[in-house]
Amino acid sequence: MSESLLQVEDLHVWFDLEDGGELHAVQGVNLSLDPGERLGLVGESGCGKTTTALAIMGLLPPNASVSGRVLLEGVDILAGGEEAIRPHRWVDVAIVFQGAMNAMNPVRTVGQQIVEALELHNRAKGVKARARTAELLEAVGIPAGRATRYPHELSGGMRQRAAIAMALACNPKVLIADEPTTALDVMVQAQILELLDGLCRDFGLALILVTHDLPVVAQLCNRCAVMYAGEIVERGRLEAIYHTPGHPYSRMLFAASPDLAGLGEPVISIPGAPPRLDRRIEGCPFRPRCDSSFEACTVRPRLEPLAADHDAACHLNTKVPA
Amino acid sequence: MRGTDYVLKRVGFAIVTVFVAVTINFVLFRLAPGDAVTNLSRVPHATPQLRHALEVQFGLDKSKWQQYVIYLKQLAHGNLGISYTNQQPVSTNLRDKLINTLPMVTLGTVFAIVFGTFTGVIAAWRRGTKAERATVFSALGFYAMPTQWLGLMLIIIFAGVLPTGGMTNEFLLDPPFWTHVRDLASHIFLPALTLGLVLYGEYTLIVRSAMLETLGEDYILTARAKGLKPRTIVRKHALRNALLPITTLIALSLGYIVAGAILVEIVFSWPGIGSAVNDAVHQRDYPMLQGAFLVLTVSVIFFNLVADLLYFRLDPRITE
Repeated sequence: MSESLLQVEDLHVWFDLEDGGELHAVQGVNLSLDPGERLGLVGESGCGKTTTALAIMGLLPPNASVSGRVLLEGVDILAGGEEAIRPHRWVDVAIVFQGAMNAMNPVRTVGQQIVEALELHNRAKGVKARARTAELLEAVGIPAGRATRYPHELSGGMRQRAAIAMALACNPKVLIADEPTTALDVMVQAQILELLDGLCRDFGLALILVTHDLPVVAQLCNRCAVMYAGEIVERGRLEAIYHTPGHPYSRMLFAASPDLAGLGEPVISIPGAPPRLDRRIEGCPFRPRCDSSFEACTVRPRLEPLAADHDAACHLNTKVPA
Repeated sequence: MRGTDYVLKRVGFAIVTVFVAVTINFVLFRLAPGDAVTNLSRVPHATPQLRHALEVQFGLDKSKWQQYVIYLKQLAHGNLGISYTNQQPVSTNLRDKLINTLPMVTLGTVFAIVFGTFTGVIAAWRRGTKAERATVFSALGFYAMPTQWLGLMLIIIFAGVLPTGGMTNEFLLDPPFWTHVRDLASHIFLPALTLGLVLYGEYTLIVRSAMLETLGEDYILTARAKGLKPRTIVRKHALRNALLPITTLIALSLGYIVAGAILVEIVFSWPGIGSAVNDAVHQRDYPMLQGAFLVLTVSVIFFNLVADLLYFRLDPRITE
């Protein structure tokens, strides 16, 4: 049925907690990504965005248990465990981590770390690998000579560019960018976004952009999935969600973002915090913070189609006008 | 240039530290109650003339300041004084003792570094498994054992199988070379093992915690995402970073080993510098003690310097 490049089906992630409890971080996520498509995965902190991204690459820590399927061109890459997914990493799916992270090994040069990826997956060896590294660095706007520098000798923006160059080393089909511009200043942010935009076009990459920053999504993505409390509460084309949000959370999220709300309109904040995921959630998880909840919300809503390529999980959409 | 500046600074710092240590060493022994003269003039009817003659002989009639200058001058010439007990130059005595100590201590230390690093890495890598618990438990056990007690236990276990004291079999007169080596090896085994086991516990724990910390770093996640095998990640990404704190700690503890061998050497009657310090204390052999202290402090400072230089070599982030 699927000609999708990447398809996530009914993904659940639980973390075993130290005290013996369990945290249900991702609760049945379904996603699909077509070649060249750019999907924004948005939501507040602790909603399972990053966990979903890491689960797709099988990178969760040992205390996590995962169920569901991740189909890459129709093949379930999670089914065979660590050994089976390893050949897909970086070759098919690569990831760029948060700018603030120490994503590069401090005691090895930037070039060595890119060459390592090339040699590991037999893309190039020795001199050729170094030449390819120079090309990659130039492609992200870093002078090729910087390959011999250590990560700490580069600025934050440069480091992030280098991380992107490293992610592109093996021409992946899917690039996951996890908060790629967080912790960078606004000018550098804009440059990185522009770079990602151009690279996705030039390399024909499909992009999953994990962020809490809606303007970033607006700039880079054509589709969007809004996550709340470990599940997707709305997904569809970005314009559709922006103009006709099918979930109060999406509506409030957009209203809470100054750039998109437009000048003159007051920026709102959503009261409260997302629910704790180490307890069972009864009814709609957004109910305590929702401004339009009603009786039906004691039952957990399911993701239902609103229009073509636009789904939302909210009882308001099926509410019969009294 | 990043290298030379740093090295010069560190070496200069080490030299200053040695100088300070020498000075403290000098002052410390002037503060100690009693001197050579009171000790030697305890003969009946010691006349003030005898006393004075002795003071002149030992240079104690001069001011403390002059004594200090003389001490430094002699030290610069490698003269550490004459031992009270065997009337030999202290430097010769210390050299002979160090030659005995070094092979034993080196053997134990190398054992501890090799096995401690190995089991520490395994414990961190196999976190939460039985292998980790067993390693940590045994490492804690060895680390917590008093050195002398462990030595005595090994003597009880191996008595009759291996020699339990001394460095050579005194009854072997003029043995052929290989017999001598075998004899030496059998004598060195237990003291080196005792020292090695205690250090092994310490190093395992240090390596394990350094590795655990490193394995939690972001770049380890990147390495996994790149598709590297766990073994490669440990070898190429984790170990090198974990080695940074490990190098320092091991180099620092090496400095104390010479001093720390005292207990082992006494238990096994090993004729090394540790036993020499012990004897010198009992015999109030001040020049010998002073010399031994000097050797110990210089070795600590030296290994500190080694640690600094190694750290610089391993971590490109250090610029000064």
